[in-house]
Amino acid sequence: VADGTAPADEFIPAGLAALGIEADEVDLAVMAAVHGLLWPPLQELLALDTEDVDPERCPDLSKAPSA
Amino acid sequence: MSGALDLGLRAQAAAVASGELDPGELLDAALARIEARNPALNAVVETFPERSREMLAAAPDGPLNGVPVVIKDEWPLPWRAQRFGAAELTVPTAPGESGPYRALRDAGATIVGVGNMHELGAGSTGAVSYYGAAHNPWDTERCPGGSSSGPAAAVAGRLVAGAVGADGLGSVRFPAAYCGLTGLKPTFGRAAMEGHHMAPLTTMIVSGPLCADAADCRLLGSVLYGEELAVGDPSGLRIGVVRSEVSEDVAPEVRAACEAAIEALRAETGGELREIELPDLETAALAGILIINSESMSGTTPQQLNRLSPELSPIARGTLKYRMLLPAVATAQAQRVRTLMRRRLAALFAEVDVIAWPTVPAPSPPLEAPVVELPSGAIGADQANARSAALANLTGIPAISMPVGLSEDGLPIALQLQAAWGADELLLDAAEALEQANGRRWVESRPPLADASPAEA
Repeated sequence: VADGTAPADEFIPAGLAALGIEADEVDLAVMAAVHGLLWPPLQELLALDTEDVDPERCPDLSKAPSA
Repeated sequence: MSGALDLGLRAQAAAVASGELDPGELLDAALARIEARNPALNAVVETFPERSREMLAAAPDGPLNGVPVVIKDEWPLPWRAQRFGAAELTVPTAPGESGPYRALRDAGATIVGVGNMHELGAGSTGAVSYYGAAHNPWDTERCPGGSSSGPAAAVAGRLVAGAVGADGLGSVRFPAAYCGLTGLKPTFGRAAMEGHHMAPLTTMIVSGPLCADAADCRLLGSVLYGEELAVGDPSGLRIGVVRSEVSEDVAPEVRAACEAAIEALRAETGGELREIELPDLETAALAGILIINSESMSGTTPQQLNRLSPELSPIARGTLKYRMLLPAVATAQAQRVRTLMRRRLAALFAEVDVIAWPTVPAPSPPLEAPVVELPSGAIGADQANARSAALANLTGIPAISMPVGLSEDGLPIALQLQAAWGADELLLDAAEALEQANGRRWVESRPPLADASPAEA
């Protein structure tokens, strides 16, 4: 999508239908608002180049990373 | 006796220990003050005087012997399951001995009430709750911060001198900032966590203390950690400043107060400022949101979402359903971002001791419309706040929020310090140094509501 957003009126109904989740008009309005906030940065997250980042396996978050 | 409630946590503990204060009278005074002030604050959602008196009667001679405290509605008690600020949770809860409960009990503290919280822990304002919004003692039309809204409002309103909150994405630090308190987010895994309904899964949430100042946080924190948080010497403190975080898109009065505080901390410790780079903070915030989302939604079924209580707020209902749709690949990418940020921080903490930036970019917004004004324009408070706090939860490092000024409207302004894994004590040392640097002016500032006449108190 040109502006980097996935249209809420496509993504949300499709997702709800796939999972069998019911939603009324208020739910859909809230979901569209949340989608508008989260989706653009989520695309940025997915676009971030992390190819060289080897994820820690079971990281101990109480300590600095081991390497 | 009500004047004793205006003392800090360690002063109350010392007065009880010396016999100067009768703990039974102190408990009665706390209950009376809750009755008097809580209608304006909605900070405490339940008291249980008989249970509190039983705790007091059985209290061991610990560091908080006879001192009343509030605990967030996120922790089960033997006589009460947590509600998590919501009409319904999608995970089972039951009464029980949570880690923070045991820690408080074993320290001799008296749990005098349960603190309100933002519904499902999913907000930085405290504006939405099953119990109705909590109110900020500095201005009861303003947000107290969330999600530990009630614990913060209770301490700022001087209902109690210390409270236990929880922080999964800033939920101790935001209310500390909005209410003019000191709030500590421990290194992941250091503070008591047993009994939390997400304890087996979470890599983000920790319990943490909310108090008037750093020394009180040290006392209550030591209880929650189960070890003494020893006093150290922050001389020569190397303060890392991410210039964009301090100066860009931050309300001018917040920027000014935080810049002054950072310089005061440098001067007090004889330290130095170092400008540092820490890119991708907004992406890191989203990574934190995705990870806590995947952990909190684990086990939730579509069928449960089709049976949600009508008493849940429309925001919670819609948000829960949306969270179910977030793609797994994004959460996997979030884990890579976690590793990336942890490695970046490990490298940075070889160069600096603490990283400083505002806890929140603007003072508390109105409860009626939780929107803040930033140089870039008006923005929802939750959206504005997430960026500043999520890094510590994502990476596991400790962080502290402390008051450093008041806005033109008389609302608290706060600075956040973050340190390396396990350097929680250094944060407390630095916070105390900053308190000394500004003559304890901000930690001793009291909201109008806490200055009520003795007859009201």
